[in-house]
Amino acid sequence: MITLKHVYKQFDISKKRHIKALNDVSLTIQDNTIHGIIGLSGAGKSTLIRTLNQLETHDEGEISVFGYQDIKRLNKESTRMLRRRMGMIFQSFNLLESKTVLNNILFPIRVQRKLHQADYQKAYDIINDVGLKGYASSYPHQLSGGQKQRVGIARALINDPEILLCDEPTSALDPLTTKQILALIKRLKHKHHLTVVLVTHDMHVIKAVCDEVTVMHEGMPVESGTIDNILFNPTHPITKELVQLIGFNMHDVAKKINKPGLVMSLKFPKHLTGESLISTCINKLDVEINILFANVTPNTEGIMLINVNGSEQNQVKPYLEKQGVVIKDA
Amino acid sequence: MHDFDMYFKAFNETVYMTLISTIITFVFGLVLGVLLYVTSAKGLKPNKQVYAFLSAITSIGRSIPFLILIVLLLPFTRFIIGTILGPSAALPALIIGAIPFYARLVELALLEKGKTLSETGVSFGATNTTIITRIMIPESKASLIRGITVTSIAIVGYTSIAGAIGAGGLGNLAYLYGYARNRQDVTIIATLLIIALILLIQLIGDLIVKRFTPN
Repeated sequence: MITLKHVYKQFDISKKRHIKALNDVSLTIQDNTIHGIIGLSGAGKSTLIRTLNQLETHDEGEISVFGYQDIKRLNKESTRMLRRRMGMIFQSFNLLESKTVLNNILFPIRVQRKLHQADYQKAYDIINDVGLKGYASSYPHQLSGGQKQRVGIARALINDPEILLCDEPTSALDPLTTKQILALIKRLKHKHHLTVVLVTHDMHVIKAVCDEVTVMHEGMPVESGTIDNILFNPTHPITKELVQLIGFNMHDVAKKINKPGLVMSLKFPKHLTGESLISTCINKLDVEINILFANVTPNTEGIMLINVNGSEQNQVKPYLEKQGVVIKDA
Repeated sequence: MHDFDMYFKAFNETVYMTLISTIITFVFGLVLGVLLYVTSAKGLKPNKQVYAFLSAITSIGRSIPFLILIVLLLPFTRFIIGTILGPSAALPALIIGAIPFYARLVELALLEKGKTLSETGVSFGATNTTIITRIMIPESKASLIRGITVTSIAIVGYTSIAGAIGAGGLGNLAYLYGYARNRQDVTIIATLLIIALILLIQLIGDLIVKRFTPN
């Protein structure tokens, strides 16, 4: 578990101008989840992920990882040990251009000690695992962007880290390659029981892989929750705009609707997605139901916006709630 | 035949001065350049005072005209080499003149990919020494070699100036025979030999860069 308590970080641009990159950040990242951090440019998300392995040291507050109370207070040697338990991948891949794929991947071991035969075996296994079979002796400039990031991922995993930090891992990639890389991260997370922290400005990325999301705005986390809850019930204006970008624009639709009756948002938990609750509801009660919006979350929960009209319109909510549907007035 | 011997000797002296100075400049320029990079604001261990000091030395070293540098260094040269005449006596001035020049090129080369590479190393848990010796320098090989090639060519130019005041070599030949005795042909041949030497250095530099660049 990674916990941040009241973390502050300020950058001094000049003597008079300062930027509060992190402005009282408190956050918990659960083990074995993919935790997305999203925000606009300058929201502090990159600074946040970089404090987790102390590429940036925070000014105030505590960051606890692996049971250390505050990683800022570790000595140099312990900080290096901490970093070896976390892998990191970057937006621009940051491969060593003068080294082959194999040597790039082995490099984190090589900076610590002499290589053994077993290290090579392990590197080849990882190369196969990330889908780079046959590329061990290629140089980075011979690879495509997606392949470069696969090398980055393999290199991050060579030390068997418990945490994988991803700083905009797909921002330099096309949408299709992005999808493949994200699928790879997701698969490796399950295989190696990783805790993944992923920073992005792209809501599609969040929707594709993240279990939990934190929305950052002006150095502060303004909203946190499971991806399904964020999609169903975004509260902060920034979050509302972000979820709109990926087709969850029911708040907009709800605002524009100008019809008699009730408007409500529904969320159908997984076990209900096979039931025909809306039609049974219409059959049982004297109401008309107009579906204004419907979509499915990454965890296959259904989200719907409906307009209810009729003499028994007020009974719709209790009826559906009894079946297990989550309802929010829109 | 006498002429050939004369050119041969002068050429050898120029090559000797250039080669020795280039090798020593490479070593010390690299060290100074790495220190400049490490202590610079974007370096691994920014240190304003140390950087300001090193940077001042480097800038001053680069801004003294070479001819004046030779004269300034005369007592030092006499102390180290034992004489102020001949190719060896030119070495201290050549080296001290070239080190700051190369050091700046090293600093620039390292800064080019500096932040991303050093951060990558830090994220692996590498020490600063490892980051410099195993990441920064190997990854900047091509720029570092191009830099020493340019420096070496500049050194050839310096040797001619040194030659004019008694260091020997092609510059000395062009000045003593060509200018003082008004033999235009000597000047032209000396010039052609200098051009040939510079082209050769450039060629060697390019070949080494090519060897070190993966393809």
